[in-house]
Amino acid sequence: MGSCLCKDKNDSEEDNDTGVGRSQQRHARGSLRNSYRNPEVLQTSASVKTLSDTVDKLVRETLDVISTMIDNEPEPPNSILMLHSITEKPAGWIELVRSLMRVVPVEHPMGPSVIALLLDDSPLPTKESVLKVGEMVAPKYGLKNNLRKERNLCVIIGCLAEKLAGPSSIALLNNSMLKYLISNLNEDIEPNVKLLSLIALEKFAQTSENKVTIQKTLQDMKQSPFLTLEEYVLSTSFLLRQIGFCACWCLDNYFPVSGRQYSYENTDVSKINAMLNTKDVSEYLKISADGLEARCDAYTFESVRCTFQITKGCWYYEVLLITPGVMQIGWATKESSFLSDDGYGIGDDKYSIGFDGCRRIIWHNAKSIPHSLPTWKSGSILGCLLDLEKQEVIFTLDGESTDPYRHIFNSVKQGFFAAASFMSFQQCRFNFGLEPFRYPPQRAFTNFNESGMLSSSDKIILPRHIYLDMLRKVSVRDDSCTLCFDKKATMRLEPCSHRGFCVTCTEQLKFCPMCRSDIRRKVQECTDSPVNVEVSDVEAIQTET
Amino acid sequence: MSSLPRRIIKETQRLMQEPVPGINAIPDENNARYFHVIVTGPNDSPFEGGVFKLELFLPEDYPMSAPKVRFITKIYHPNIDRLGRICLDVLKDKWSPALQIRTILLSIQALLSAPNPDDPLANDVAELWKVNEAEAIKNAREWTQKYAVED
Repeated sequence: MGSCLCKDKNDSEEDNDTGVGRSQQRHARGSLRNSYRNPEVLQTSASVKTLSDTVDKLVRETLDVISTMIDNEPEPPNSILMLHSITEKPAGWIELVRSLMRVVPVEHPMGPSVIALLLDDSPLPTKESVLKVGEMVAPKYGLKNNLRKERNLCVIIGCLAEKLAGPSSIALLNNSMLKYLISNLNEDIEPNVKLLSLIALEKFAQTSENKVTIQKTLQDMKQSPFLTLEEYVLSTSFLLRQIGFCACWCLDNYFPVSGRQYSYENTDVSKINAMLNTKDVSEYLKISADGLEARCDAYTFESVRCTFQITKGCWYYEVLLITPGVMQIGWATKESSFLSDDGYGIGDDKYSIGFDGCRRIIWHNAKSIPHSLPTWKSGSILGCLLDLEKQEVIFTLDGESTDPYRHIFNSVKQGFFAAASFMSFQQCRFNFGLEPFRYPPQRAFTNFNESGMLSSSDKIILPRHIYLDMLRKVSVRDDSCTLCFDKKATMRLEPCSHRGFCVTCTEQLKFCPMCRSDIRRKVQECTDSPVNVEVSDVEAIQTET
Repeated sequence: MSSLPRRIIKETQRLMQEPVPGINAIPDENNARYFHVIVTGPNDSPFEGGVFKLELFLPEDYPMSAPKVRFITKIYHPNIDRLGRICLDVLKDKWSPALQIRTILLSIQALLSAPNPDDPLANDVAELWKVNEAEAIKNAREWTQKYAVED
């Protein structure tokens, strides 16, 4: 079955993308994937210097260029092409790791994202290379005297734990690694190191053997360090607050502690009538139990829409930036698709518009529009105003306002949701009107929380493992469509006469899924009972809880 | 998470209940669209004895579009490149929504048994495979021993 088709060079851009999209060819904005062509040519100018100098220079260049990368550039920057070529060899790959540790400043808003990006873009490391990285946590490397190196190494370890989930990740989490990361959760540890160690542990736990190992170690301790860290969730320091958020997430999802309630069980959602929609979000975004705070630690570009849809009037919400990196926050309709793997998010199609205060641009229809507001910082308040009557979108940063944007109304007039996309390690909190606004607009507006309505079951944000367990109990009827297993199979294709498909799936078919022959007619076979199963079992389960 | 289509639930249930010999696909605990896959190298192939880790992701419009699959374990194969990307028609223009995770993984297993150097993704590997197949197979065996055999 299945042969190769790379002969067909006409769509070579597409052709290269045969694997899991998480690691390739993402959009220029959410990330910087692209295909690599002739990197050897680029390498010659660098060959005179030593490898470490060269790699350091390239990493610096990438850091510089990445904050200015806009629009769909045909090629990724030279520095990334050259790094890709250098890391083909194990020595080059290890040098990249060392260089990332040396070069990426702790305070660079995109630092950890760039590390994740460059590692994800490099060829797969050998097991020896991975273990070499593991050895770097040994005390003799003097990490404790160098915050930058240590923070960056923790980012690197987390990325590898995630990228290599499985045997290599298990090999990397040896005793000394486990001890090292867990001891980094201690009170006296520098918060940047603490945060990234915590995230690394979480990423290790994506491999179930590792999860068991970590959980066992935590249970042998007097008290899980995550419980102390979780209290930072309300801290006024934005760094500590991130630690609190991630600790809480780990306790709910990976390392539960007996006697501790899940966050959803003790979060008061009674006054919340609009939140981020956990059924309308790409897979890896983390959403708090109150549905108002979100964070991405995956290397994909994660997106979410809120629960409330706007059809008319003037609307406003605010976002508190917890981290200052790349996020695209604004408005999107249902048509806007979340292609987290390809780096597409809010503002990357004609159905959405997003403000990016890190690179100081506004995104719409995958085009960037510069704006004059300053770069955002942790603690900045972004205001998002959508006026459907005047057909204006206006963003404000700490009260300072952009010009109105109207382009988006050429493609869509209504049906907007508040929406946002997140690059790795980014976090923010939404205020849909639950709390007073800091910079309310001058014109008359409505807020989501006053107008929204959510059933009590809609407000429950379950930890994913509980939610997925419930889903797996769903059963399927015998007469259901063989493609979606969701609706009743009522259609027959002609002339091949293959059947077993529902109306919805048949609509999307270009050829017969069974024999690949062209479809001339789509015939409805039986209409004795309702065709559509409207209420999904999933919703039924949710109502029961 | 977006609500999970019944198709994915059903396929997952079947993969767990009736696993395919030589293939192990386990859904990620936190992401039902992401599978951790292990394929054992087929007998009588240069990959025999190897245990190859792959990742498989079901995109939003699955099954109308194909799963995205990638090797995580390094492998010396003319149709698999250094990033682990696989050149296989059923993952691309020959995809049909009637195919499933299990059929795709079987195709990949078959690709290990029958490399196709005439349609290469990894050019240097394919070149050697054509001009000196014995040498290429030797390399593939070495890589299998080096990267795909557990200690």
